[in-house]
Amino acid sequence: MTFSTMVGELAHAFINTFLIFLLTLIGSLPLGLVVYFGKKSRFKPLKWLTEVYISIMRGTPLILQIMVIYYAPPLLFHVTLPGNWRFSAVVVAFVINYAAYYAEIYRGGIESIPVGQYEAAQVLGYRKTQTFVKIILPQMVKRTLPAVTNEVITLVKDTSLASAIGTIEMFTKAKQIAVSPRSPGMLTFLVAGIFYYIFNVIVAFGMKKLEKALDYYQ
Amino acid sequence: MKKTVSLLLSLLMVMSCVFALAACGGKKTEGDSGTTAPSEETTVDTSADAKKLIVGFDAEFPPYGFVAEDGSYDGFDLAMAKELCSRLGWEFEAVAIDWNSKDAELASGNINCIWNGFTYTGREDQYTWSEPYVENKIVLVVKADSGITSLADLAGKSVMAQAGSSAVDAINDKEGFKDTLKEVVELPDYNTGFMDLDSGSVDAVAADIGVATFNINAKDGEYVILEEPLSTEQYAVGFLLGHNALRDAVNAELLKMAEDGTMKTIAENYVDDGLVLESLCLLNK
Amino acid sequence: MHILDIRNVRKSFGDNEVLKDISLTVDRGEVVSVIGPSGSGKSTFLRCATLLETMDSGTLRYMGETVASMQGDRIVYTKDLKKIRSYFGLVFQNFNLFPHFSVMKNVTDAPISVQKRDPKEVRETARELLDKMGLGDKADAYPCELSGGQKQRVSIVRALAMKPEILFFDEPTSALDPELTGEVLKVIRQLADASMTMVIVTHEMAFAHAISDFVVFMDGGVIVEQGTPQELFEGTKQERTRQFLQNYQR
Repeated sequence: MTFSTMVGELAHAFINTFLIFLLTLIGSLPLGLVVYFGKKSRFKPLKWLTEVYISIMRGTPLILQIMVIYYAPPLLFHVTLPGNWRFSAVVVAFVINYAAYYAEIYRGGIESIPVGQYEAAQVLGYRKTQTFVKIILPQMVKRTLPAVTNEVITLVKDTSLASAIGTIEMFTKAKQIAVSPRSPGMLTFLVAGIFYYIFNVIVAFGMKKLEKALDYYQ
Repeated sequence: MKKTVSLLLSLLMVMSCVFALAACGGKKTEGDSGTTAPSEETTVDTSADAKKLIVGFDAEFPPYGFVAEDGSYDGFDLAMAKELCSRLGWEFEAVAIDWNSKDAELASGNINCIWNGFTYTGREDQYTWSEPYVENKIVLVVKADSGITSLADLAGKSVMAQAGSSAVDAINDKEGFKDTLKEVVELPDYNTGFMDLDSGSVDAVAADIGVATFNINAKDGEYVILEEPLSTEQYAVGFLLGHNALRDAVNAELLKMAEDGTMKTIAENYVDDGLVLESLCLLNK
Repeated sequence: MHILDIRNVRKSFGDNEVLKDISLTVDRGEVVSVIGPSGSGKSTFLRCATLLETMDSGTLRYMGETVASMQGDRIVYTKDLKKIRSYFGLVFQNFNLFPHFSVMKNVTDAPISVQKRDPKEVRETARELLDKMGLGDKADAYPCELSGGQKQRVSIVRALAMKPEILFFDEPTSALDPELTGEVLKVIRQLADASMTMVIVTHEMAFAHAISDFVVFMDGGVIVEQGTPQELFEGTKQERTRQFLQNYQR
């Protein structure tokens, strides 16, 4: 395999890496807010369930969660899942895992907002949802952005855990190519590393831009 | 207090899920071992009705499964399986799996056979098997300048083997051998193993002859294979226990392919990738 | 009809009884100052009047409309608090401006999105008020770009933009540097001259003396003395009031 074929193959597999990354963000960022509300719910069973969920998601390895979600439906419930379940299971696992982390980050952000903001909103007659959407949420986003950035960068690297169930993404591909006859061997991993690094530099740059964009207030 | 208890319970739940996964493969083995006669099957075996072979393979296991120069999946076993399907008029699908998860993949129906240098020896009762088509040897690869020439020389040394592979079994089963070693290093793939051999963090790599030959050819003169094999093992195509109909159909065609020279023709394409023609035991019959 | 009529307020936090039977009425155009040492309950009283705290018992009426009353020994609040809230405004000690809104949006968002008033009319009113408070050039600034005195003036404008019947001030100058209190007091004085009905919790005795129609001295959760500024500041008959005022004059 020529060097350029290898790079091309990695680039192709990177599409899946990127998709896992993107779908996880799209799913987990809003879900984290839902989980946060669950945890804050006055309905005790829901609150309890959410706390257990967060604790399990944060207390067990992600790689194990991926395997449970991928293998449990067919093995425990004898459901046949569609062919792309190998990919979907990874996304589902990532989404519910990251949502738990985001919920905790959001909680920290929201609880750090001074109570005076709620009081001012109340006196001005804002309804509860208006207060949250107009006053609290924007400030929460700004306060949690550095912590969210950390998670997003970790996510880029975590996508490689998808190889645990053989989902084809860049890391799985790199491992396969590296051991194959007439391939560039170890060089494949170096190139994969460069891919990850460049992607993360871009992600970090984007997040920095976002932070800058919110710099107009303190 | 209540909260702590419920947390522990939930953790247990997750853990039991995982053990259930592991147990699923194992339980079937226990229940069905010895019931080799198809007449004892209570359910109708419909395994061959789909007319589709979904081959689970390890794409990190040349020459049996690997990534070809153009980036597609290739390998002796895949080529054989593909040819077999086209002769039977079946649909063929190859799924790259994580080797450690092969039982779960098979049990969940994501694949319906494992055809990838899959060791038959020692696992006779755990799967439904085709005729063995490769007689393989597990050998030890050492650096040419290491001065190690026999198994006895490995006393106090580190030996690497792929986690979950038959090489690990071979080390464990070889009487009195493992106890002399300093340690057995189990790594997810042989690539890492040979890097460790290079760097000196292990002294030998236990692998099957195909993998060993491939790596020796790749690094001209740097490695040697110890003459005395650790074990001799056979490869066959593995099916979920009880899938006799599927096995019978595949097996019959496999034997034909060995007889009419198709297997040899295909095998010759993979000699450069480390396939040892002499190990193809069906050809020598 | 009183603008504010609050009677027999009791409020405890745990075992600590903070308000012990407080009553106060405020009529249109009146300026009432509430003074007293810290921990006397004056802020809690203000928070009960502005619905930030619920009273343990007592009655509360705005514009003759009952907000809270006793049914047996239980206090019952009306459901329609939104309308009641439109009767009053509150200026906080710490401003509590919304940091992510510009000055203009801080002032106009609630009138537009809560009161559903015409955005054009609201913006015009806001601009006039800002001009009047000397903040005409700060409409597009963000709170972090303002001084403390400017922030407090913006928060006064924010409260005024809601067109309240009565305006409450909770120690409006306590968080400010001494040299900045003057500009805020000047604005409040302007409002008094324009006959704005106001209740001011303050530590600025000279200011309270000068501006108030009526002064209330609270200590230990009770109203110790109330009357005109002259009665309280110049001719108090109460020893506790005298002591408190002496401490302040030093």
